Amino acid sequence: MSSKLPIITGIGSVTSFGTLAGLISPSPIELAPITAWTTDGLRRAFLVKPFQPTSVVPGLKTRRLDRISIWTLVASTLALQDAGVDLNQMDRSRVAVVFATGFGCIESTEAFYQSAYKNGWAGTDPITFPETLANSPAGHVALLHDLRGPNITVSSKNFAGESALLQAASLLRHGQADLAIVIAGDALTRTAFEWYETAGLLSLACSSEVPLSETSGFVPSEGMVAMVLEPEGREHAKLYARVRGGRWGATDEPLARVRETLQGIAPSLIICGGDGGPCSTSSPISLVKEFPEENTAVIPAQAIALGLADSGALFHLALALSMQPSSGVALTLATSDNGGFATVVLDLP
Amino acid sequence: MTDVKKTIVVTGIGIVSPYGVGMKNLESGLLAGKNCLHLARDVYPGFVGSLAQVSELPHAVSKLGVRYSRTDLLAIAAAEDAVTGIDRQQSFFRESAVVIASTVGGLSEIDPGIMGDPSAWYRQGDGLARARSYSVARAAASVGEHFKIRGPNCGVSVACASGGTAIGLGANMLLDGLAPMVLAGGADGLCSFTMSGFSSLQSLDKDPCRPFDMNRKGLNLGEGAAVLVMETLAGAQARGAKVLAVLRGWAMGNDATHPTAPQKQGTGLAQCMSNAMKMAGVDVEEIGYVNAHGTGTPLNDIAEVNAYELTFRGRSSRVPVSSTKSYFGHCLASAGSIEAAISIAAIRSGSIVPTLRLKDPIESSMVDWVKDAVRHQPVNVAISVSVGFGGSNAAVLFGRADA
Repeated sequence: MSSKLPIITGIGSVTSFGTLAGLISPSPIELAPITAWTTDGLRRAFLVKPFQPTSVVPGLKTRRLDRISIWTLVASTLALQDAGVDLNQMDRSRVAVVFATGFGCIESTEAFYQSAYKNGWAGTDPITFPETLANSPAGHVALLHDLRGPNITVSSKNFAGESALLQAASLLRHGQADLAIVIAGDALTRTAFEWYETAGLLSLACSSEVPLSETSGFVPSEGMVAMVLEPEGREHAKLYARVRGGRWGATDEPLARVRETLQGIAPSLIICGGDGGPCSTSSPISLVKEFPEENTAVIPAQAIALGLADSGALFHLALALSMQPSSGVALTLATSDNGGFATVVLDLP
Repeated sequence: MTDVKKTIVVTGIGIVSPYGVGMKNLESGLLAGKNCLHLARDVYPGFVGSLAQVSELPHAVSKLGVRYSRTDLLAIAAAEDAVTGIDRQQSFFRESAVVIASTVGGLSEIDPGIMGDPSAWYRQGDGLARARSYSVARAAASVGEHFKIRGPNCGVSVACASGGTAIGLGANMLLDGLAPMVLAGGADGLCSFTMSGFSSLQSLDKDPCRPFDMNRKGLNLGEGAAVLVMETLAGAQARGAKVLAVLRGWAMGNDATHPTAPQKQGTGLAQCMSNAMKMAGVDVEEIGYVNAHGTGTPLNDIAEVNAYELTFRGRSSRVPVSSTKSYFGHCLASAGSIEAAISIAAIRSGSIVPTLRLKDPIESSMVDWVKDAVRHQPVNVAISVSVGFGGSNAAVLFGRADA
């Protein structure tokens, strides 16, 4: 088992902010009108703008791929570029991919159902079927970069991103991989959006020009964030943060469990994350107030990352790191109803 | 000297298979050579091929806006079976981790009509609850909710390598101290979506499948769930639990050669098996049984045999191999966990069940095909391997409880 803490050395993202390697330049983001399907009047969400994937991954064939597969390929490539990792210098059977998603390949799943809707179950599309599997994006990442290490797709209700990050760190700690690409995200499709809408969970801002700041409620989002995780020690490697540890689960005493995870360390920064998704009445802020330490800075949860629900943790973290926080121990904190919590303890350089 | 805090043991096994609920039903069915495969059209009109179905399960139900899909119910039933005898009020159980693999999830609850008008579909009856069962994490969440377990909860979806992967990830959680006990395994229910998908790929054998036979034509789908109760040896000893087997090694890997087809030479799977053996500190000579992935598809089976040739090269005798998918089909994400349970059963009983309908096996210099009859011989170490779309491979290696 390696005694060195895993460190985050690269970030890549495909979000409403664009297609980026490294930190995300903070800028105001407007909700975008949905045009991918016919809507009953104005409908808005945080959407990924169309872009040319071949500008990042030359020669990439995307026609048959789910958008989240394309985004995982692009985000992982950008994260590797940002990390400055030369895969040719690595044993690729020791490079892991850990992918977190809430809905998996929902777009391909819709396409498969669509073919059944039109042609019956006997007339479905054989090329689409394998692309409906939730691990398809991670498999494509392995194929693109010839990564033959552990290739894992996970999901945890409300905390998929935290779970993926911690399990990737675990692979490194236990010597099951030398480097891991952690990726988390989801795509917004018609069935997902209309589910939120039918359930009455959407903010008024999703169906009118009312500014988001003047409304409450959930605004769906989409996108993908990838991070490169490796043991400390590679020459010239960037250092965004060291991953000390963390946990997720549920408890009657979230503060006690979070403090247990901190092992007596006072955090200098708390990064608020998910709140349990659109149905939740939870908020990490209520837990943050239980930390009486002075000088603990707090970065509130960002609506654009909250819109990813289960898979928003890496997006929250990337946004927080982009705010150039000062050094110290940072704590990510996400909560959900019924005592659900997730926390990751990080050393910031 | 055994490090009791780092030794992962299995203290419970829960199974729902086409033989019914429980290991006894599964073992007696396998030992009797009972074939569960029957014509698919009896259940899914219009589909060709054979399948194996679990008949004892209640239909999906909705409760307070939550609908448990067929997959969820299979997972819950297997977990119930696995934790028989455990005091559920004890903190070690309440703080358990749940790691459940599924690829089908709630697809059984959704029909193509959703694509006509999603909003209208959601407003029909419990449409919202049906669709909610779709999420990747749902089967794991269902088990956690059922027991009111509060430890880490994780859904796993690595295609047909999911079940073995869930066991490996659960073991990592125990090593990390994230939970004192882990319920790990997989569940998948049959549904039109997957029947149609594999049918469209022309992967299905209309007759009962013939894994590793030269005349194999494809796979049959099955359904089921298996959940292992895993804990550290220290934890098991502290609560006086009976140890059924030791999880000595586990590994996950990827072929990185094709989105669906396995690598022909089998090097990815061979590497995965070697990694699991290395972790276990086990030599190729010590492997007493391989429970193969053995789907019966032309591509999978030859790649798998090539992997065995690579892995066991230099071994003094051929390694006993069988595929139990010949009894009840390919249970997708639950396959790896059901087959892990069968591997443990082989160690405990000293009985290796044969591959059914294996008349003309693929030629191999390293494989001792177990066919025709149950083989009775001591098995100290068994390895269960799984292979899936997306290039996924997983291997879990078990040893005797008393070793």
